[in-house]
Amino acid sequence: MTTRRTVLNGILAASGAALLSSTSRMAFAQAPAEVKVALIAPLSGPWARQGELMKKGAELAVADINAAGGVKALGGAKVTLVLFDAGDSTEKAKNAAQRMVAQEPDLVGVTGAWLSSFTLAVSEVTERAELPMLTLSYADSITSRGYKYIFQMSPTGGRQAQDALPALMDVAEKATGKRPATTGIIADNTAASVSFAKPMRDGAFEKSGIKVLFDETFTPPLADATALIQQARSKRPEFLLMLGTSVPDDKLLLEKVNEFNLGKGRMPIIGSGAHMGTPELLKNIGPDLLEGVMTVVGNWGAKGQEGIIDRFKKATGEPWMTQDSICAYGDVMTIIRAVEEAKKADRKAVAEALRKMDITDGPALFYPGNRIRFDETGKRIDAKLIIVQWQKGEPVPIYPPASATAEPIWPKR
Amino acid sequence: MNRRKTLGRSLVVLALLAAVYGAAVVLVSDQYYQLMLTLVAVWAIMGISWNVLSGYSGLVSFGHAAFFGLGAYTVALGSVHFSLSPWLTIPAAGLVGAAAGILVGLPTFRLRGHYFALAMLAYPLALLYVFEWLGYQEVAMPMRREAPALYMQFADARVLSMIAGLLLVAAIVASLLIETSRFGMALIAIKQNELAAEGAGIETRKWKLRAIAISGGIAGMVGGFYAVVLIVVTPPSVFGMLTSAQALIVALFGGIGTVWGPVIGAAFLIPLSETLHAELGNVLPGIQGVVFGVAIVGVILLAPEGIFWRIRDMLQARKAPVEPAPAEPAPADRPMPDNVVPIPAGGRDGASGGAGTGGRVMLEVRGVSKNFGGLRAVREVSFTVPEGAVIGIIGPNGAGKTTLFNCLNGFQIPSAGEVLFEGQNLVGLPPSAVCRKGIGRTFQVARPFTRLSVLENVLVGAYAGAADDATAERNAREALTLVGLGGSADRIAGGLANKEQRLMELARALAGKPKLLLLDETLAGLGAAEVEDMVNVIRRLSRTGLTIVIIEHTMQAMVRLADRFIVLDHGALLAEGRPQDVTRDPAVIEAYLGKRWRERA
Repeated sequence: MTTRRTVLNGILAASGAALLSSTSRMAFAQAPAEVKVALIAPLSGPWARQGELMKKGAELAVADINAAGGVKALGGAKVTLVLFDAGDSTEKAKNAAQRMVAQEPDLVGVTGAWLSSFTLAVSEVTERAELPMLTLSYADSITSRGYKYIFQMSPTGGRQAQDALPALMDVAEKATGKRPATTGIIADNTAASVSFAKPMRDGAFEKSGIKVLFDETFTPPLADATALIQQARSKRPEFLLMLGTSVPDDKLLLEKVNEFNLGKGRMPIIGSGAHMGTPELLKNIGPDLLEGVMTVVGNWGAKGQEGIIDRFKKATGEPWMTQDSICAYGDVMTIIRAVEEAKKADRKAVAEALRKMDITDGPALFYPGNRIRFDETGKRIDAKLIIVQWQKGEPVPIYPPASATAEPIWPKR
Repeated sequence: MNRRKTLGRSLVVLALLAAVYGAAVVLVSDQYYQLMLTLVAVWAIMGISWNVLSGYSGLVSFGHAAFFGLGAYTVALGSVHFSLSPWLTIPAAGLVGAAAGILVGLPTFRLRGHYFALAMLAYPLALLYVFEWLGYQEVAMPMRREAPALYMQFADARVLSMIAGLLLVAAIVASLLIETSRFGMALIAIKQNELAAEGAGIETRKWKLRAIAISGGIAGMVGGFYAVVLIVVTPPSVFGMLTSAQALIVALFGGIGTVWGPVIGAAFLIPLSETLHAELGNVLPGIQGVVFGVAIVGVILLAPEGIFWRIRDMLQARKAPVEPAPAEPAPADRPMPDNVVPIPAGGRDGASGGAGTGGRVMLEVRGVSKNFGGLRAVREVSFTVPEGAVIGIIGPNGAGKTTLFNCLNGFQIPSAGEVLFEGQNLVGLPPSAVCRKGIGRTFQVARPFTRLSVLENVLVGAYAGAADDATAERNAREALTLVGLGGSADRIAGGLANKEQRLMELARALAGKPKLLLLDETLAGLGAAEVEDMVNVIRRLSRTGLTIVIIEHTMQAMVRLADRFIVLDHGALLAEGRPQDVTRDPAVIEAYLGKRWRERA
């Protein structure tokens, strides 16, 4: 082994790479002094902000566990968080994953990697390393590969698209007493928007008795939103599906909505994705334009988590807890819960504990649906979407009722 | 000859490298380092692919991601939709890449320089949106537990690294074969000067298409392999700007125009970037990109043509003092002392009986005109060139000499008239075809291929008139001897003096075994003694029976060199005849030569 390493080091040094020397690791004792959990997320590149939000959530979870006495089943062993930067490409994400399993042999679980394509690449490595991975990524393909060590905490993209319309109906009915009968769609042609709208266009509207008054598709970047919003003003649907994916497009559309006096919830607007609820969007667009806008997400800082949200805000200076932070927090908590149940810091045992897990307390409270149990593919069975609405400069959960911290604003006609 | 020696030596280096790589793959147990080895090979192959087109031919491509991505999607979609094994689909991806290369090349080779580079940029960007539109945002290769080896899903990452290594060796060998054959010479000639290459008989379009097909094939193949390595294919990861840039950067860093460049570049940059990312990515996110960028900028400032050439130049500089001083070209045969004696104006020493020469007509120009919009650069010029004659085309600046010349050898199509060479009309033929019919030419400005040896420079021209490489080399050596550069065959052309470069240019034209030689201001810019040497060489050529047409300013030399003068003024034929008659023609004297000449005459 040592000779191999020597040769290896020689070769790599010769090729000019000052690679990490993987000093031989001692076999660890039965009761480890620490339990290692990894976060693999884009900490640099265009998605660095999301990675940072995840990191803040995960760090808070580790601090909370350690403050409460560590892992009790292991005699109070402390939890350590190891960070891996998934960077800005699938290749870098896979490299990071490969490095993670090579250099951190005593990890018990990992959460990440934010972008679905990163998660697909990373989970391919963790699967081979038999390391359980929890993810907030939506893509249906993540759990359709027959992998045994991947656990998808959010409702999949397909499921969100399916559930979104009935959820909106519920929100409207609760607020106004009747279900809306007309809608209009303004959507860009990116994957996220197309796949979100697909089941609705393919019959869900019809089934719910909703008439589509107009269906407009645009290619980002949008130059002028007048013609699009003009449709909404002249046809007056009872709610508007506005599926943009970039801040400049959202801004143009919302400005026009306001100009045509449809803003501030006068015409209910529903988007999709966590990007519609970020502090950055608020900075860019301002609270006035955003007032009343709703978005469908996989998770959010919600009812029952007030204490954590408060501490999170204090510790990080973030104005609220987005999907990324709450998921990372919950994932770390879930992994440690599995360690407690497995009673050893062994990744296979932890994975087994996750597969058997069926809880409605503790970590379960950090996920909509409030129950953690998985089907054989690794999907969380009770995963539900959350609808968040901008109210007075803050995106607050309004659906499902179990998670809602505020009443929806939905105008009565 | 040294190119074959180069190939042999390169193969030895390759065998050594392959052995080192193979040993590393076998000995390294860490999967992460295995992945690094694989990725180094992947990006080295991608750099080689880029180099085959852009490095050799100089047509910079910013769009190699197009081929890479098509290859990746071929393999990924083949596996998802048809359960096809990568063993089949990776070669298929190569074919897809090659076909895409031809499809892209057909329209895009109409553009040159920056326009070509920018047009290439468009293809991967367009494909990126097409694949997003098709709904292939994230294609994951399904896991095949039933037959992992059939689907290249080995539990041991070494197998994948080994396959990457084999692909790399194949790519290097392909690239070496191109580099050391007439294929490579043709591409290098295109890089140096596409027009000159056409003039030397190289069918530039054909070679460029072959290059982009091979380049696209290699990129497609490695793209397909990349899909197997990464499992997930997304449009940005394979069609993205970074993919094209990575191919370009490894080649630029290691050295352009040599197969070793991309290999060196990938071996340095891929581990460096990954190490920076691993070490700094979670400490100070983003700093790795800055460090990486600074490193690349630094290297490019210190070694603008890449590490490989920098090292080669350093090694050659050390060897340089041993090389013979470039002073005396020492022509092998100099048995013509009489030629050195200046001959008084009044025609050359009439070996073939002065003006008419009496032989059959080699070239006949009938009423050739060339208009550029409203400008009539050449107006209905007619003359004949008898076999074995030396004809001088003279005239003041802007008289249309070079335009007329270009009409003769296919660089421009005359607006009217015919150019008959041995009775066949040449109008409409591309320059390379004209060259292959037996008309060689030199250029006003010497265009040596500075990185190549003198012999290789001449070889580029020799392929037009030779069926095989051996004949081409023999012809090239003969041509060098003929112009008196026989002893300088192995010198690097960049080190030649001005006159030697002209001689080499002449040898390049001669190497194609032309029947008619068109010389464009061969004497311009030479000193008196150098003009003398040059004149002697041209006369010697004439004596071998070669027919020569020269454009020239330098009157004195021309008067001694030419059998006949054709005088152009404002695009039209002003006078034609024996030099001594023409120089006495008052119209010529007035229009072109001016008073000073009259006084001297």
